[in-house]
Amino acid sequence: MIVLIIALLVGILIGLFIPISIPQDYSSYVAVGLLAALDSIFGALKSNLKGDFKIDIFISGFVGNTLIAMLLAYMGDMLGIPLYQAAVVAFGVRIFQNFGEMRRSILIKNKSFSKEEKNQ
Amino acid sequence: MKVKIKKPTGGQVAIAILLLVLGILISMQIKSVRQSNELKNLEKARAIELAEQINQLRKENVSLRQQIYDLEKKIKEYQDSAASISKTTELLKEELDKVKILAGLTDVEGPGIIITLDDSKIPAQPNVDPNSFLLHDSDILQVINELRAAGAEAIAINDQRVVSTTEIRCAGPTISINNTRYSAPYIIKAIGDPKILKNSLEMRGGIIDLLKEFSIEVKIEEASKVVIPRYTGSLKFNYAKIKSEGS
Repeated sequence: MIVLIIALLVGILIGLFIPISIPQDYSSYVAVGLLAALDSIFGALKSNLKGDFKIDIFISGFVGNTLIAMLLAYMGDMLGIPLYQAAVVAFGVRIFQNFGEMRRSILIKNKSFSKEEKNQ
Repeated sequence: MKVKIKKPTGGQVAIAILLLVLGILISMQIKSVRQSNELKNLEKARAIELAEQINQLRKENVSLRQQIYDLEKKIKEYQDSAASISKTTELLKEELDKVKILAGLTDVEGPGIIITLDDSKIPAQPNVDPNSFLLHDSDILQVINELRAAGAEAIAINDQRVVSTTEIRCAGPTISINNTRYSAPYIIKAIGDPKILKNSLEMRGGIIDLLKEFSIEVKIEEASKVVIPRYTGSLKFNYAKIKSEGS
């Protein structure tokens, strides 16, 4: 867990000090892609807690969801429909769901641990 | 709860790498968004600044014009007081007044006509050049020419006095007269014999006939009293000098 947080922070620092920023025209697509990636991360954390984490599912989800979200946003711009909202809603809801499940499983585990300790 | 530092599994390494990439992208995106906001604010600030400058210049313009009027009033007072001194100066002043009318440097009034010209009100039709239903500088020029030929003594377009240096020039969708831009409608005032002026404009095959063919809106009014303002621009002659006697 700590390794992951450190990785994220290092990434943010690298991004800040690289003298490159995303071109204005692509900024909105990257934003949607970021949301999809964030959703995949939360999904991975949840399955890691549950113990059914599979690396191929995680990587395909991370890359695939990001690409589809960006493509959807781009197509929406082409067609004149705010399709990126679909991605925002879908991934937003999923992030909250995943977080909720993580919360629950952590709390339940802690309770059972403390019971076991009492019993011993 | 005890925090156990476990050896990172393969999955955690993968997540770590992707999180690293995610972090880079997040901070790049944040930079990009911040830049675009700054750009927008800059544009807004610039627009506000320009608007303020325009207001400032307008105020200056008004006060400068007031100054011109004040100075001219003073000149007139001096001339009047000079005229009362002797017969010669009185004659000179009469001469000066005549020249001023000729040069368009005083407000004048008298009988004449008022012509109102406006773009055609007919809606644009396909396959027809919309330009032919608009008023052009050449149309105005022809009307002015006709008025001059009919003996108009003073002419103004939208209260811009037509003097020897006046230009009537196409300036995009507007027409520039004395370096001031005007859009339709154009109100041309002329002092002279109202009947002659009107007839010369309305003669068969004349300019008004031509304009009406393109459904340009033309209105001609005879008036017993037309007031034509003076020329308010600057008069500077850099090249033309009075020819010296005997040369």
